Formats: sequence, C-alpha cells, structure tokens
Amino acid sequence: MKLTVVEGMQSEIFVPVTPEPVWTPLTKPLKECKVAFITAGGIHQKTQVPYDTSGDYSYRVIPSDIDTSKLMVTHGGFDNSDINKDVNAMFPLDRLRELVKEGFIGSLADEMYGFMGGGGNVDKFRNETGPEIARKLKEQGVDIVLCTGGCGTCHRSATIVTRCCEAAGMSCCVIAALPPIARQQGAPRITAPHVPIGSNAGEPNNIPMQTAILKDTLNFIEEADHFGMCRILPYEYRHNV
Amino acid sequence: MSLTKDVLEKHLKDPAVFCCRRQKGLVISGADLEDPDLFEDMADAGLLALSKEGLTIEQVLGRKLETDTEALTPITAAMLDGINAESPEAKPESGSGTKSASGPEIKPEVKSGAAAGTGSGPASCRMIHVAIERLEGLKLDIPVGMETAIPQELTERTEKVLRTLKKKIFQVKDVIIADETSFQNGILKIDGKILKKAIKADPLVKDIKMDIIKPQQRHIYTDTIMDVCPIAAKAEGKLGEGVTNVLEGAVFMLTGVDEDGTQIHEFGSSEGFLDEKMFFGHPGCADPDDIIIRVETVIQSKTGMERRGPFAAHKCEDAVIQAVRDVLKKTAEKPKREELCRDIRKYGRPRVVLVKEIMGQGAMHDNILCPAEPCGVPGGQKNVDLGNVPLMLSPNEVRDGGIHALTCIGPATKEMTRHYFREPLIEALAEDDELDLMGVIFIGSPQVNDEKSFVSERLGAWIEALDAEGAIVTTEGFGNNHIDFISHIGQIGSRGIPVVGVSFCAYQGQLVVGNEYADAMIETNKDINGFENEVAGCSEICPNDAARAVQMLKNKMMGVEIKPAARKWSQSIIDRNNEILGLPREKIMDRI
Repeated sequence: MKLTVVEGMQSEIFVPVTPEPVWTPLTKPLKECKVAFITAGGIHQKTQVPYDTSGDYSYRVIPSDIDTSKLMVTHGGFDNSDINKDVNAMFPLDRLRELVKEGFIGSLADEMYGFMGGGGNVDKFRNETGPEIARKLKEQGVDIVLCTGGCGTCHRSATIVTRCCEAAGMSCCVIAALPPIARQQGAPRITAPHVPIGSNAGEPNNIPMQTAILKDTLNFIEEADHFGMCRILPYEYRHNV
Repeated sequence: MSLTKDVLEKHLKDPAVFCCRRQKGLVISGADLEDPDLFEDMADAGLLALSKEGLTIEQVLGRKLETDTEALTPITAAMLDGINAESPEAKPESGSGTKSASGPEIKPEVKSGAAAGTGSGPASCRMIHVAIERLEGLKLDIPVGMETAIPQELTERTEKVLRTLKKKIFQVKDVIIADETSFQNGILKIDGKILKKAIKADPLVKDIKMDIIKPQQRHIYTDTIMDVCPIAAKAEGKLGEGVTNVLEGAVFMLTGVDEDGTQIHEFGSSEGFLDEKMFFGHPGCADPDDIIIRVETVIQSKTGMERRGPFAAHKCEDAVIQAVRDVLKKTAEKPKREELCRDIRKYGRPRVVLVKEIMGQGAMHDNILCPAEPCGVPGGQKNVDLGNVPLMLSPNEVRDGGIHALTCIGPATKEMTRHYFREPLIEALAEDDELDLMGVIFIGSPQVNDEKSFVSERLGAWIEALDAEGAIVTTEGFGNNHIDFISHIGQIGSRGIPVVGVSFCAYQGQLVVGNEYADAMIETNKDINGFENEVAGCSEICPNDAARAVQMLKNKMMGVEIKPAARKWSQSIIDRNNEILGLPREKIMDRI
C-alpha cells in the first residue's frame, strides 16, 4: 500500500462522554404521587406563539386541565402527522387524567411545560430553561416527571431538562424513541417503546398502547434502583409515512 | 477511576492526581491515579483544581506517599519521599500492537502497508510489526522474508475503465420566460404556459409561479429554498454512462409555502432575502454568476410537514425542468466544453468506499435515487420506501444526477440536488490516483431506533463482504441521524477497517452519541458560532472538507497518528488542518 501521509492532523469533532449520575429515588407509592409531564416535542397551545423551529430554548405553560384539542405541534425535526392526528402520541395528557381517575397515580401538576428541543442550545437548556422548569415543578409539589423528546437533539434537550428535574429532587424518566441518545446524555431512567420519533408516547388514537406505556414507565420509576437504567417496552408501532 | 496501563502510558507527562483518598505509606501506581482525560470535565464541575506545583505521572510512579491525601488532589513534591526524573523525549505514543494485558506478549501482525507511523521509505513492503509488552517502548518493523526482495507493488497497478460518461457543457447567456421552450445561441427560453401543465403533476400543489433571478438581482425576497437543481438531460445512454447535456450558468431553485403561508422547509427555514440566505458557490448552491430560475409553489394547507406535500412541490418543479431537458437533449448548439467522468477499477491500490447517510424519515427527510433523467423525479425510487437499506451507486451514477434530494433538515446542513451532482468527496476520491473508489453507498436514516440498527448492521455486512480497506462516512443534518452515523462508523471500525466521519457538529449539532471508532472526524461547519444558521448550503461538505477527509483516511490507513479531538468545537483546529494540507482558509459565515 502506498499512500501519501501528512503528519500532525487532528480529529475535528469531539465524541461525547456521559455526564455524572443524578438520582432521586421514589419514596412513596404511585397512587400518592403528583405527576408532571413535560415534552421537548414542540407541543404548545394553539393560542401561544409557536416555537422557532431552528432552535428555541423558551417554554410554554400547558395547564393540565386543558382540552387537548387546543394543543398543537410546531417542530420541524420529524413527520408531524401522528401528532396532528392525536397530540397524546407525544403529550399523553388525556391518558394521564384517566390514570388519576383510575387511582393509578395521585394527581397531576396544575401546570405542565412544553418546549421544542430540536437543535436546542445546550447551555441555555442546562443553565436556564431546565432549572426554571425544575423549580416550577418542584414548587408545585411534583414527585414524578415524565418527559418525551422528538428528534435526536430533542432527546438531548429532553434529557438535559429531565436531569435538572431529577437534581431538584423529583424522580424522572425519559420515554425515548431514541434511547441511545437519552443514555449517552445521562437520563436518570429511560423507557423505550418501539415507536418512531414523533409518537414517543404511543400510536395515535391507540388508547390501550398509550396507557400501557405510561403505566409501565411509572412502574419502572418505582422499580429502578440506580442511575441510567433503561427498560425496553414491548409495544411496537410503525407508521408508514 | 484508576488508570489502566495503556492509558497510563499515554499520560506520563500529564498531571498526577489521586483518584481516591490515599493513606501515608502508599507506593504510588497507576491504580491510584485519575484519568487525565477527565480533568476538563472535573474542572468544569468544580471537582478539581490543578496546581502549578503539581507533578506529572512519570514523576510520581513508584514514589512513597508521606501524608494522607484526599481524592482529586494534585500530587506535589511535598507529599512524597522524592521525585522521579522526567524523561527527555516527547510524550510516548502507544504503537499499534501493544496491549494492556499483563505479562509478556509478542503479537506479530502482518500488514500489507508501510510501517505504522511512517509515510516514507519503501512503501508497499510487507512488514511484520512486533510489539513486546515487557520491553516498554521497543518497536520493531521487520520486512517479511528478509532474504528475498519484495516487489515494490504487490499487485500490478493496472486499471479497468468500467464506464465512461461524457458531460457536454453548454453555456447559458440568458434565460427568458417566453411562448415556447428553446435553447439557441445560449439563450434559454421557457414557455410560461408550461406551469399550467406542471401544476397538474400533483393535486396537492395549489399554485405555481416561475421567475428569473439574475446575478445582480439577488437582494430579492424568497420563500424557503427547498432545492437547487441542475439542468441536465440524457442525450445518450442511461444514468452514469453515455452522454449528458448540461447547462452551465443557470439552475432551478424550488421554494414553497402552504396555503396558510407556512414555509415548507422547517427545522430552520431559509426564507428572506436571497443574497443573505444562500451560500453562493458552495457545491449544492447556485454559483455567484448563475441565473436562477425560481419555481415558487403553494401546497395544500397543513401538508408541509407531511411526506406527500413537499414531494408534490418537487414533482411539479420537475415537470417544468423536464420541458427544458426535452429541448436540451436535442440541442444543436456547440458545447462550451466536454467533461469525461470515468468509473475506474484501480487494481493494486487500496479499495475504499464512500458511505453517504441520507435522510429517511418521511416529510422532507427523503431522497429519490436513480431517476430516469439526471436529477429528475420520475423513474426514481425513494429511499424511505426501500426501507433505507444501504444501496450502492457507482461514482458516475451519482455524478450524473443519481440523487434528487427532497430533504429539509436545516438549510445550512442539507445536501441539495446540485450537491450530489458535484459532490466534492466523490470527485476527490474518484480522481485520487492512490485509491480505488469501489462505489458510493447511500443509506437512509430511519425514524425507528431498531431500524437504525438494522440498516447499519446491513452496512457493516456490505463493507465486510466488499473487503474494503478504508471508508469515509458522511451525513447531512445533525441530531438523531448521528445515532446512525456513529453506528455506521462503529460497524466499519469494529471490523478493523480504517474509517473517517464527516458531519456538521460544531456547537449546535454536537454529537449526541459516540464510540471509540469515531476518532478521525471532519467538521463541515462554516458558521462562525457553530450553528445551523438557516443559510442554504452554508455548512455542507465543501472541497476543503473533502481534501481533509481523504488525507485523514490515508493517514489512518497508514497508521499515522491523528491527534484526539479537543473537548469543544474550535474553528482553529479546522483551520490548522487546512493549513497543514496547504488548503486555502475556509470562508466562514459571520452574519447574524
């Protein structure tokens, strides 16, 4: 083999390492817990200013008693058609209210939060948006925070904010369509149904699947005993876009 | 954590810091020390403050600790019974073939290459590379069969031309919207009535307009730039061979909104003033002197982020371009010049593959492969429909417009149709006399994680079956597709095949996952702050990037060290690599 070589070149892209563990164990039964759901998947109220799809670290307040038909998605990182059909595919608020009614969980936070994590500014999410969402959830007495992301950088932003919530003393889980990113970015707990990005919380309008993903995730939060655990969930949905 | 022997050897000149609390009387070994690679993280987290008085690892190994010491404390002379002398030579490198296992080990490794770490000398000699663990630092490179002369080339450097494509280039002097479509005396006339026919190509397109933007008229508002498409038509033969007539000096540009006025290409949209929203001269973009034929589409409300909507816009634009192609095929004009593109098997030179990861997730994350006409739509297959599995195209097929790009994924980092028509990496590899470019593998990035693994593993099997000796993997965009990108690098690297990765990462797109094989990486960012800056084509692969990637691959194939990446993106490293290779300084976009 004869190849011209040039000494002294340096690799130009850093390959990340997983950050330090962050961990808050769950200390009470699920039926007594106050649960919040946050999403990096671009969900907001139709009356609110849409996210800037090229990167946006602001967040939107979503009251937990809102009619889900008043919610929409603004996110350019994946095919939106599933969320357009049923917002519960990313932000399963209707299912969570059913779980409260059923007595599976104690209550919901009055305020939940949406943001658009695609192309997210890491420092802003880590140092501003994440701590602020965590503080607001903690002030509401939240015990458990569940989070979905959409695209790849969304999963990164979702994980950063989730880590802030865990650090603030809440037990958190990322429901991930892309578990390698959640793991690499240091999510405290991960559940991973076999779903495409855009339908992280289950197939649109498939109530049993969405409920099962939530229940399995909540049970996993009770069972997980150390940082970084990931449970693959046995629910599979493929959409033909 | 403590240091393993091979990590220790790399860091003899780095600061010595206890990883855990240690008590007086301890004789210091690698097991007591923290990994210097983690110091920056620890300093960022406030866990560690390095001291000027701190000693290096080689100064403390084997020395006795005189006082109890807490974890993450830099070791200073005052704590020890004495200090080892520093070795004079530069930081030792761990050569190939060394292992961290304890005990003696002799590992002969026969390579059909020059000695690792050297690029000169009698190349093509077969060498036995020996590293003996117990004798630290000793490396021997012994020619195989010392008593016999080894031919300079193991295999004769012969070539076989597989196919030839002739591109006949015709200069466009002006473009006019007229009552007929024709190309005469360098004047391209396009029949305005064609739009009425073109809109029928897909019912989702509700309105279509066309205008001409001259080079001096660039400060004009434009909807988001969906694509830049060359004008090329098959005059003889099929894609990749025969004759293709190409217009130079004019390109099509597709823009689109939906009926509500929402821009079609989202994840950053490039709508605005054209002169600020395109990086003129980059491979996928219009050149500064090009006349732009703009096709503006309006598609059905709310279909912009669904797969069918943007595709409809591309279909209708292509119906317009096809009318021009039909004229161009039969033109009697004299070509300005002819370019010959050849697919050549270069025997006796290392076989390399270019792997291009393309989007494969539906709306604006899709591509059309191998259309009937160069850069066309009809006759092609969409990679999403094909399950995103790896497909091989010959370099000529790609250079003849084998890809029509439907992607959005951020204006600055997407590869538009024109990019593939003049892909700098294909040009660099195909024209490199030292390498045998076997082909270009296109692999889609699926939406589902399991499918990402599936297609990536299929890629690994391909590379193995091809017996490739080197590979470059590229991806457009950033984010979830980096899972695939890193996995592809792992599939190739874990088979012992040198691999180089090429992507936009910089600040905004910094990698979300990583593995040990991603150690030779080329950054394509051209934005001053490292962001997807919504300027079409800004951070796509450019000739400098391609040159660096090819050289880095050659270095890796020859065992020449590639220094590890810095912990944070820095343009200065890219500038330095360009400088080392004698490349011009890259133009960086510094507009907000």
